[in-house]
Amino acid sequence: MLSHTTVIRNAPQQDLINELHTFIKGALKLERCNPLDLTKTALRLLKNIPAARAALFEYFSNVFGAAATNYIQAIETEIKTGELPSHSETDEAVVTEIHSVLVGFIADNPTAWAPIVSTWSLELLGEISTKFAGRAHLSTNLNETLQLWMNCRATKILVDINTKCLSSLMHSDTETCINALLETSIKHSPNFDWVVAHVGSCFPHTVITRVLSVGLKDFCQIKSYEQGSNSPKLRSVVGILGHLAGSHSNDIRSAILEMFLWSLQQENQDVDATKLQKKATVPFILQLAFLSSTLFSSVCNDMKRILSVDIIYKLCPFVEDWCKYFGSNEILEDLLLTLIASCDNGGIQIINVLLDCITVEHHLNDPLIQSIKEKSLEILQNVVYRVDESVRTDKNIELLTSFAHDLDEVHKNLLSLVEVRSQTAAQIVVFLGHGNPSLLVRSLSFLFQNSQTSQHLSLLVKILTHELINKTVWPYVDKSGYFSVVLEQILSKNIEAQVNKNGDNLTQMWNNLLTLLKWEKSGRVSLLNSQIVTKAILTNLTHFTAVFGNETLHVHVMSNILTDLDIPVSSNMDNLPAEVILNLTQATVNYFFICCHEEGTSQKAKGFERINRLLRRLCTHSKVARVLALRELLERALFRKDNVLFGAKNNGTFDESSEKLLLKQNKKINKTIPLTKHSSVFNGGIIGTGKRKLHCLNDLPPEVVAANTSELVNAIKSCCSLSEELEMKFCDLSLDSVTLVSLLLVQFVSPDVMYNGLPWPDEEFSKVTIERDLFIRRMFTNVPVLWDLLSFVAVYRPALCYCSVLMRALTATLIHQWKSTGEQSKSNFTDNYKSLMTTTVKVIDVMALGQLLPPPLCSIRDVLPNLKCFEIVAILKDCIWTYMRDHIPSPALFVGDANGIHWRDPTSSRPAEVYTNTLRIIMQRNIDTLGHMYAQMFINIPKLE
Amino acid sequence: MSAASEVNLKQTLRKLEFPLCAKEALNKIGELICGRITSIKNMDLALDLMSEFIFCEVDRRGNKRSSPLSALLELQLLEILFEHFNGLTNEAARNTVFLSLFSGTTALQRAGILSKLVSLAIGIPSPAILTSASTWMQQLGCTSAHSCKLAQAIVHDYFHLVPSAADRMKILPDVAPQFTANFLTAVAENYFNSKKKDQPYPSESLLQTITQWISQNAHLCIAAQQKQAALPPGAIAMEATTAIAGLIRWCTLAPMYEQDSQLYSHLHLALLNSILEIPHTTPPKAICAQHLATSLRFILLYSNKTGKQSNLQLALDRFAQAVQVALSTKCVYGKIDDLIHQLQQLPFNKLMSIVINTHKECK
Repeated sequence: MLSHTTVIRNAPQQDLINELHTFIKGALKLERCNPLDLTKTALRLLKNIPAARAALFEYFSNVFGAAATNYIQAIETEIKTGELPSHSETDEAVVTEIHSVLVGFIADNPTAWAPIVSTWSLELLGEISTKFAGRAHLSTNLNETLQLWMNCRATKILVDINTKCLSSLMHSDTETCINALLETSIKHSPNFDWVVAHVGSCFPHTVITRVLSVGLKDFCQIKSYEQGSNSPKLRSVVGILGHLAGSHSNDIRSAILEMFLWSLQQENQDVDATKLQKKATVPFILQLAFLSSTLFSSVCNDMKRILSVDIIYKLCPFVEDWCKYFGSNEILEDLLLTLIASCDNGGIQIINVLLDCITVEHHLNDPLIQSIKEKSLEILQNVVYRVDESVRTDKNIELLTSFAHDLDEVHKNLLSLVEVRSQTAAQIVVFLGHGNPSLLVRSLSFLFQNSQTSQHLSLLVKILTHELINKTVWPYVDKSGYFSVVLEQILSKNIEAQVNKNGDNLTQMWNNLLTLLKWEKSGRVSLLNSQIVTKAILTNLTHFTAVFGNETLHVHVMSNILTDLDIPVSSNMDNLPAEVILNLTQATVNYFFICCHEEGTSQKAKGFERINRLLRRLCTHSKVARVLALRELLERALFRKDNVLFGAKNNGTFDESSEKLLLKQNKKINKTIPLTKHSSVFNGGIIGTGKRKLHCLNDLPPEVVAANTSELVNAIKSCCSLSEELEMKFCDLSLDSVTLVSLLLVQFVSPDVMYNGLPWPDEEFSKVTIERDLFIRRMFTNVPVLWDLLSFVAVYRPALCYCSVLMRALTATLIHQWKSTGEQSKSNFTDNYKSLMTTTVKVIDVMALGQLLPPPLCSIRDVLPNLKCFEIVAILKDCIWTYMRDHIPSPALFVGDANGIHWRDPTSSRPAEVYTNTLRIIMQRNIDTLGHMYAQMFINIPKLE
Repeated sequence: MSAASEVNLKQTLRKLEFPLCAKEALNKIGELICGRITSIKNMDLALDLMSEFIFCEVDRRGNKRSSPLSALLELQLLEILFEHFNGLTNEAARNTVFLSLFSGTTALQRAGILSKLVSLAIGIPSPAILTSASTWMQQLGCTSAHSCKLAQAIVHDYFHLVPSAADRMKILPDVAPQFTANFLTAVAENYFNSKKKDQPYPSESLLQTITQWISQNAHLCIAAQQKQAALPPGAIAMEATTAIAGLIRWCTLAPMYEQDSQLYSHLHLALLNSILEIPHTTPPKAICAQHLATSLRFILLYSNKTGKQSNLQLALDRFAQAVQVALSTKCVYGKIDDLIHQLQQLPFNKLMSIVINTHKECK
């Protein structure tokens, strides 16, 4: 049986022995043979004779080593001669062959092969790296090394094989893999670091954690500071982590954090070595940070989570121990300061931690807390001092860059109520602003919009006027300084936001602006002596006034600001652009109506005061403003919805659904429908439903109407006021302006452009104008404020003359109405009669006030209520109308006296008998009731001296 | 041999390069220790030659070498050893040199080379070397640490690293039945022998191969006992331990460790068949009662931890079957009464109680 099998197995047995023989001969270079064939033999043996694997791997190592040598030599030749030598094809082929077989093994049977192959490849990589360290102009820079080796086919394949091993084992046997990696790394450090870095980027978390712990262990052994900073192990840790920091910053951060947290847990059962390691953790992290800026920045990023006051409190007792790693307390402190200053990421978090420490509350007089507070303050001051120094010498400092990234955090601090916090933040803003005005503007806008206490506002002023802030930087200097730019940004944003209906709440901002302006005007804040606030507002008047015109919420504050500003400032009157004037005028008028709408408050009263002040200044300054203001005021008071404020009956609001409109009816009728068709719809109403009723939805109480009216008159007066420079004792208004008012009234009230002249035609002619007259009359009924306006105009003679057409129209309609009123109506004192009488009296009153009717005609108002209708008609016609027809109401009738007052001397301008006869006869006929009047009017007449 | 010739021999050998000196030394060692009369002195010289010229463990002054052979040179040495032993037709002489090379104080040191040599002998394969290895195992004890280590290395090579070599392993009982039997005994000791929960279990391929071996050849387990090994003169032959007790432990404990491969049932059946096939000898030598009892403490441990009852019963059933078959074939030696006494302490199992009672009645 035995011999039988031997025969069967003879052939392969012979084969394998021969192959083994060939391999040994070839591998030991006892015989020359083709390397590729040899490799193939080796691989066949590997598959069949596992016992030979150690030797086979050794052979592979030689092959890879040779390939690497060739590669390095080729590079060196290239550097030397500049020629690119042809690379060995055999190397490539052999290496690739080995690669494919090994990868196959790993894929088929990872648990068995991966540890072997992995250990071998790591070992080999380590050897190769060490062997060629410093060759081919290799720098110590890890990335360059990585670059160099990854370009080499052999090493690249080794790394690839290794990565495959690790990934196939990662889940089952992590520890072994990483240990092998790091052991090799320790053996061949630092030349091997590139492999660790590369592997690390494939398995970041595991590698990082392990690398850190290895580094820590090494750090614990360090005796002196110099030794610490030069330790090759530490350097290689830094190199590896630094390489990984680029793409795995989060892993590194969490690993460092984990390590830090681990070090905080002091447990009793810890071995001495562990205790030592825990103690050394913080110095180790500091040292790492000091050696690598990338690591440092990844740590800084998370400072908030890492450090808190509690943790610092816990750490405090160890500081003594830390110092020994660095040599002395001073060196540690200096290292800290350098680190903080070079923090380019999350620096504000460090500052916040320091601030937290400084402001921590302590109930007991804990000396530890006290010392923490003192030390933190000292460090903070030193940091600020360093930054200050670097800013002044125009050196770039990373900490500032990091502040710029975390501007929001800085802003949060700015608003803190704790002084040291806000002061520090202000300091930071100043530092940032020194080099980067746009950041300054951002911070200032934030502070300006959000500060709620005067403390914060004073910070704002301090920042603005700080010596480090260069106030002559273009373009800020052209825009009258930073504050002006701040205001501009806020306002223009606000305008945009209004368009989008999502504006911020700017109440605080307006209040702040007012406060600042008040400070400046008070003259007690010396920092504001340069009038930055005023200048800023003046520069932004265009925006400001535009906002003022469109706002409703903050108008009071804004008007307050504008009033305090005293614009137009006399000195720069001519500088005000037309747009500003127009905006401001419009806005002020708008504000007037807003005030009118408001419930009676002191705010409202003050508002009117400010409006008058503003209007006065504006209108005396600019004619355009005056015209615009008057026109706007009148138009809105008469025609817009605002007219209800002044007692107007708005007849624009018909309920269209229920009532038929003539207009609609007319629109319905098209050409084909005969015009003769009867329609029951008329302008005055629908036949059958009675007169169209007016809808007076919002009837204001008469006292409110009266108050509003008086404010309106006041506003108009303000518009008409004379410039302050002119000394006018007896006349407070400019007659031109009042004339303008009266002309505007004519323009608004009279619907026609013809027959608007001053002369009164024959009474008969009123038949031609009756429609227009009725329209005017209706205006007066619907908008009673017109009477007040007329009265106002009448006072300032001879302005009423220009309203002649209105008087005429009213009189004409009155004559017409009195004519058609039957006698019987008087006895009943109907409403109709009463209103007719009131209107008549009003008209005559106004004409008398305007001295258009001289005595005795001016007293007709007192006579009329006692007369019959036909008598009234007679008087209106024969006395008033005829007199007016013959005495054209023109300014020529009036004489200006030395004080500039125009008037008609009643003694010299008594009307002729023709105009008073009718009146006298009627009065004589009613002498029983009008006796006293008669005497006054016709007998006791003042005579010409 | 005189002292002068001793020095002379060394000088001659020193003139030769490695590996030639190893080759030559092997021949010399053969001459030295396979003679009819061997003296202690010759033995010492042979050992010196081994460590200096073959394994290169010491230099010419007898100081320990710092760097051992490189893997490639070691492979060359393996080749030489392989060729040498493979070429020796005299079994006794071969075993003598083999044993002196790999046993004694240097056994541990040379275990690596030994396992590689054996592995090579399986791979090529070489019945001659495997027979010597079998003798080596037997002399050192099949369940000894050395043997277990060798078995472990073989398993790693052929069942873990090169599963494709399973075909070659299948015919191993045909190539070297004694070696296979001793290998099985050693392998059996490597598994199911620890209280640890995460101990390694035999791989599927190993289990499959073993099951196949035993099912196909009922005599395999006792193969080593059937052929007396050729030993150097004066040596005391050690009785080979069979793998039966160890493998029964596998089958018994497997359910308790939740190794529920179907193969364990097959293996169990094959083992029972093998026991039945054991020829009757006086005294019995196939199964040692104490060896069989090693399973018991694991069962007790498991039952104390209140494991799954069904698994425990399966284990007890299997064990009871094995005990019954073994006792009935009268191939158990050692303290059988102790074994029965221990069986009584196990958790109750119907079959087991029948077995115990039957045994008591038979007495």
